[in-house]
Amino acid sequence: MYRLGASVIVAVNKVSLEIKEATFVSIAGPSGSGKTTLLNLIGLNDRPTSGKVFFKNEDTSLLSDRERREIRLRNIGFVFQTFNLLPTLTALENVELPLALAKIPPKPQREKAIQLLEAVGLTGRLQHRPKELSTGEMQRVAIARALANNPFLILADEPTGELDSETGCEIIKLLLSLCRKHKTTVVVATHDERVAKASDVKYSMRDGMIMRDVGL
Amino acid sequence: MEGLATRITVMCLRNLLRRRFRTSLCIFGVSLATIFIVAIGATTTNYTTAIREMNIFFSGDVVVVAEGAMVIQAFPVVGGNLPVSVVEKINQVEGVKKAVPMLVRFGFQVEAVIQLAPTNISIGIPPGNWSVLVGHTPLKPGGNWPSADPDKKEVVVGPALAKQYDLAVSSKVKGENTNLTVVGILDTRSALLSRSIILPLKLAQRLYYGHTMWINMVVAEPEEEGIQEQVANRIEEEIEGLEALTTHERHEIIEPLLHDVETWTLGLSSVLYLLSMILVTTVAMMNVSERRRDFATLDAIGAPKSAIFRMVITEATLIGLLGGLAGILLGSIAAILIASFYTNIPLSMFFFDLFNIVSPLFMMKILASTVAVSCVAGVIPAIAALRMNISEGLRSEY
Repeated sequence: MYRLGASVIVAVNKVSLEIKEATFVSIAGPSGSGKTTLLNLIGLNDRPTSGKVFFKNEDTSLLSDRERREIRLRNIGFVFQTFNLLPTLTALENVELPLALAKIPPKPQREKAIQLLEAVGLTGRLQHRPKELSTGEMQRVAIARALANNPFLILADEPTGELDSETGCEIIKLLLSLCRKHKTTVVVATHDERVAKASDVKYSMRDGMIMRDVGL
Repeated sequence: MEGLATRITVMCLRNLLRRRFRTSLCIFGVSLATIFIVAIGATTTNYTTAIREMNIFFSGDVVVVAEGAMVIQAFPVVGGNLPVSVVEKINQVEGVKKAVPMLVRFGFQVEAVIQLAPTNISIGIPPGNWSVLVGHTPLKPGGNWPSADPDKKEVVVGPALAKQYDLAVSSKVKGENTNLTVVGILDTRSALLSRSIILPLKLAQRLYYGHTMWINMVVAEPEEEGIQEQVANRIEEEIEGLEALTTHERHEIIEPLLHDVETWTLGLSSVLYLLSMILVTTVAMMNVSERRRDFATLDAIGAPKSAIFRMVITEATLIGLLGGLAGILLGSIAAILIASFYTNIPLSMFFFDLFNIVSPLFMMKILASTVAVSCVAGVIPAIAALRMNISEGLRSEY
């Protein structure tokens, strides 16, 4: 729930869901339905006005800001619609950043970052800054960054929103492969039908309320 | 990239370069404030130090001048000639061990290779009494004190004058239309003695008055310590038309003025630092506002608050460091220009002596102050960056 001046906006309303490990979950819904707010709650970027968020069976409402930050660093990877790469860092440096924050020594940082960028198909673009990359390449860097600390959970907010159809398809495949090969739990907020079709569990959201889509 | 601290510093430098016009303007503003602080501070420090140093002369002695004469520390600068006969009268005052007459003039015009600057001082002293002025200050090797015979027209000069006019023992100089011979050069670092011309009293009297009947100050040495004030009071009571100043009284004449000068200088510096701080804070707030999404992303991926805080503070500190360095360099040049302008000493003489005008310690203090002020200026923007809501920040536009 947010306050905007005298108004109160209920972004997420009576949402109750459980996300199982190693599943690919999609949350579909129109703009303003509360998808981003829900992802922020799952990702511990926000605290719920009421209710609780359990992460690996742990009640996160009892955690301090530092503990929540630590969980985000080591267990959650974020992929944003607008990529949110740091503009003054190269692709390699953007991927190294979470590793540096996790106090990995410099040499292993570099090796891991290069490995991740190679895995997403960006071997030749390591020293390029975001403004020198295409949108698809930027999103790949963002995915590589999200994977830096071997997260348990990837949260992707409209990852194909800024991409053309072909590139979007590649990104979806990449996210799917993470889930299938590496058993990473992936939760995607999306308008994209292709993502919804590919997911193990589908939810739809409207006006802050969520319901499971059983395909009827 | 290396560890987190290095990474943060590199990110800060790149962020500053990314907005190079704004960063340059901010650095320029800080350096401008620093230029004024260095130039004014160095100049007033030099002058106040030189003036304070004047009071180390005749410490413990009573300086006697004509009533109404303007005295700066130990020396009369304006007005008040005394008849030579007053010396004997002072010698007879109870408690006086010895009275030494002197003739002191500021701005003695001597022509050598180049027209002499006005800031020099000539002091006529009876031969054999040089130590009353110079204490144990020796002459450089090969030099001698002037002969007792005023007709030989011999003088001793300070090392700054010797260097400025390329004078050595046996050099000829012309002063008050009289040819003089340099027979010795003082070996001293005293600001006053460095620019002094010491000559026999009678020679000085002839050069200035054309006769030997006047002087303008007498240094009276008390018979024992602790009776300076009593001796000064007796002199004033027994001999009309005189003012007898103890060390404390001489100090009291000028010290309040010097204190005011230093207070004004400090006040001006504080205002300039405050303006710098406001400038840096404003620019840092603009940078933080424009990078809300970056900070929110950092928070979202798990960066500790301390990293974000350090980033903003580091950027502000770097601006202060760069502005401070530029300001110290340009301010030192400005201080030299000021010193050269007011002393008529050519600029080339100063560049070998930069650290006499602006000492390394002074430079370090100013740099440290500028950096500290900028660091403090970054605190409010850093706190603003920390208080940002992640969700709102992630939705921000660049």
